[in-house]
Amino acid sequence: MALIEVRDVTISRGNVHVIKGLSLAVNEGSITAIVGANGSGKSTLIGAFAGDYPLDAGQITIRGRDLAELSLAEQSRLRSVVTQNQFFWLAFTVRQVIEMGQASENLSRVESVVSQLGIDQILGQSVLTLSGGQLQRVAIARALVCDTPIYLFDEPLASQDKKSKADLIELFGRMRDEGKTIVIVMHSEKSDLDWCDQVIEDLS
Amino acid sequence: MRKIYILAVVVVLLAVVALSVGATSVDSVWATIFNPNFGSTELSDQIIWQIRAPRILGAVLLGAILAIAGVLAQGSTNNPLADPAFLGTTAGAALGVVIGVLTNVVSIAAIGSIAWATFGALLATLLTFWLARNALQLIIIGIAVSATLSAIVGIAITVADRSDARSVTFWSLGSLSLLTWSNVALLVVVAITIFVSARTLAPQLDLLSLGDAQVRHSGRDPQRIRLIAFVILSVAIATAVSQVGTIAFLALAAPHIARFLVGPSHRNLVGAAAVIGALILVIADTGARSIAPPQDLPIGLLISLIGAPALILALKRGGVQWR
Repeated sequence: MALIEVRDVTISRGNVHVIKGLSLAVNEGSITAIVGANGSGKSTLIGAFAGDYPLDAGQITIRGRDLAELSLAEQSRLRSVVTQNQFFWLAFTVRQVIEMGQASENLSRVESVVSQLGIDQILGQSVLTLSGGQLQRVAIARALVCDTPIYLFDEPLASQDKKSKADLIELFGRMRDEGKTIVIVMHSEKSDLDWCDQVIEDLS
Repeated sequence: MRKIYILAVVVVLLAVVALSVGATSVDSVWATIFNPNFGSTELSDQIIWQIRAPRILGAVLLGAILAIAGVLAQGSTNNPLADPAFLGTTAGAALGVVIGVLTNVVSIAAIGSIAWATFGALLATLLTFWLARNALQLIIIGIAVSATLSAIVGIAITVADRSDARSVTFWSLGSLSLLTWSNVALLVVVAITIFVSARTLAPQLDLLSLGDAQVRHSGRDPQRIRLIAFVILSVAIATAVSQVGTIAFLALAAPHIARFLVGPSHRNLVGAAAVIGALILVIADTGARSIAPPQDLPIGLLISLIGAPALILALKRGGVQWR
């Protein structure tokens, strides 16, 4: 059944309609890729799923409930979000960043999540010393620790090397098999996305 | 944290040394310090225990209060440049007190002046908060709000020409010379309240360092966290300004020096910055009293003279990365 439903959604940034009259459905236990050129509205759409942008028209529902009526806390129990370009000016350790603001029951998952992502060796390291790919995996770890039914990833593979990319794709597959629903913004060619269940290209 | 406990002991030792230093030379000064007789009418007892002691203890408490306000300012705006003076808070507090004094409702350093200062500080900070669209804008708008209110204070003081409203220098560089035991009692209450509430807010300030979007995604409202921080820091700054005028730079420098010693986690940072703030203010005030006696130098000058090199040293030793 459809976990996320988008009905006739229009979203503007400034005076430009970035997304116009879009309708789609995301099934529970699936991987959905959003692809397209720069500026085509991919990040805006995933941001709208994350509750970051108000809709000009239409409706987004999660489990039948209107997203606009869900509180921040309710949304955070339904989905975890990984955004692009994390900026840090304070030298927190990787562990501190992953554990920040987490509910106490989430903390027990930290060890298994970081070993799945291959960042267990850098837990004590300052985030200011990390590469782009490592920072992305730290952000993914923050999301996975939350153990929500839905995961929204904005370009999680962008800075990853070949092996890390393959490992992450395998991990996403395992998560889907466990019933998780994953939406990913990507820059890949459609032909490289056979591991996804649905590819969304045209947002306008 | 061990370094901080050692520095806390240093603060206590310095405070005792500071008791022996001052414009008036006191007979058998150490005997008076180590055999305190608070009720005595002896001149040496009066100078040490009624004039110097409350002033030094006041410096310790105010240094801690200002430094914690700096931690809250930087943490809540997620900006290393933030300082209550750059959010409009300090100027707002000064304007509040000046209005209170010029309308003959309160006198400076009286308990009632804290209420006026808090009112002004909250109003100015919330104005900045309301005008700014995001964390980055907070600073630039805060500086503009601050400049406007400081100008009004300067003009009001000059035009009113009343000695009890203090000088423009007092409102821009501060002085600890008015502190008495009743002020100190009040400062103890405020310092404890500010410390406990800042420590309670600390985990949320950590989270804010990830950026507003991440805070929202994890189910919390970043603006709400910021608002709570602003209320606490407004009370802190209002207390300081109503007692000793405007003491610049300390709130900016102390958190950075503390971060160099204990790292960025706000729970440790609150206490560490408080100790650093107390240390700097005690040294600065002792300098202000003893460099050119019987003149009492404006405390702001000494703070900059000691705090700025300490800040540069901490940042340099920390390398390109801020710990």
